[in-house]
Amino acid sequence: MKVTVKILRYNPEKDKRPRYRTYHVEAEPTDRVLDVLEKIKGYQDGSLSFRRSCAHGICGSCAMRINGMNRLACKTLIKDLHSDKIVIEPLLGLPLMKDLIVDMKPFFEHYQSVKPYLINDEPPPLTERLQSPEERERFDDTTKCILCAACTTSCPSFWSNGQYVGPAAIVNAHRFIFDSRDRGAAERLRILSDQFGVYRCHTIFNCTLACPRDIQITKAIGEVKRAIATGSLD
Amino acid sequence: MRSRTVSQPAMSFEYIMWMFTRISGLALLFLGFIGLVMALIMNARNLLDMPTLTRWTFFPNPNHVVNSNIPDVSQGWANAYWQIMEMVIALFGISHGFNGLRVVIEDFIGNTFWQPMIRGVIFLMWLFFIIIAFYVILAS
Ligand code: FES
Repeated sequence: MKVTVKILRYNPEKDKRPRYRTYHVEAEPTDRVLDVLEKIKGYQDGSLSFRRSCAHGICGSCAMRINGMNRLACKTLIKDLHSDKIVIEPLLGLPLMKDLIVDMKPFFEHYQSVKPYLINDEPPPLTERLQSPEERERFDDTTKCILCAACTTSCPSFWSNGQYVGPAAIVNAHRFIFDSRDRGAAERLRILSDQFGVYRCHTIFNCTLACPRDIQITKAIGEVKRAIATGSLD
Repeated sequence: MRSRTVSQPAMSFEYIMWMFTRISGLALLFLGFIGLVMALIMNARNLLDMPTLTRWTFFPNPNHVVNSNIPDVSQGWANAYWQIMEMVIALFGISHGFNGLRVVIEDFIGNTFWQPMIRGVIFLMWLFFIIIAFYVILAS
């Protein structure tokens, strides 16, 4: 099938503001949007810039706005868009660097601010820190995050103010707060109860909709709010 | 699975206001419910029309019912009990609303040097409306 691809292009050295360019590409319905982008870059316009690495939906490089929704280009099939017109734009809310590439620095700074690593100063046991399957299950959903930024850049609270830590950071805090081996919950909850923590979330659910890993993000944020209010980590 | 607990962080202003929003929202519904049930017990079905009853439910002020079929509002419809009810409703409602306005504005402005000024303006507006409401309640 023939698809018309409209891409928001921006070259910081030449353009004052981003502009749309249209390409016509021959593609299979089972092709992914990433394949279409590769075809354009390989055969029509080598100057097109975008991030990609794994092409298997696990590295989180290729998140972009495809027909208005934040998705992974490598995980989105043409036929699932139900249209032969595709509009591809960079993620919103992060500084645009070139074409479909945004500056991820603010995103990773928020990620780091919630201490996304195991905190436990108790002397390690001889073998390993044991955990029951149920205790592991408690935070299983939020371990799936690939840090693609699709959620954070779909959040109106984040659009209106980049100081908000954003859903991705809260998801990764949740992953450790509810881990029975971790001892840093109190500190993370303190960080998340400040002005730009969980209370900037107004349960809009865009993040849950955008997540390519189907993480129940708004639920995870709700659980963090509950932990702050009750002190219970069940 | 052992149940895990964590020492709660010190209450932040955001947390307190977040809690207040939930509690005041529920309280307003509950207070409205009381106003409605009490009005029905006082024979509102025969004395009030629907719009009047709705106004009374969410703000049980005698001014809201004087033009209806009630022969004498001083019989149950205007007394200190309702004045206290109204004051609680006004306090919760106005605070809930102005805090909501603060949250919406701060979503956008964040932690800039405007924030304390805007908080101050919102506080003055809140105070102004509380004073007006209490004046209306106590004078009626
Ligand atoms: S290229 Fe790795 S997630 Fe798409």
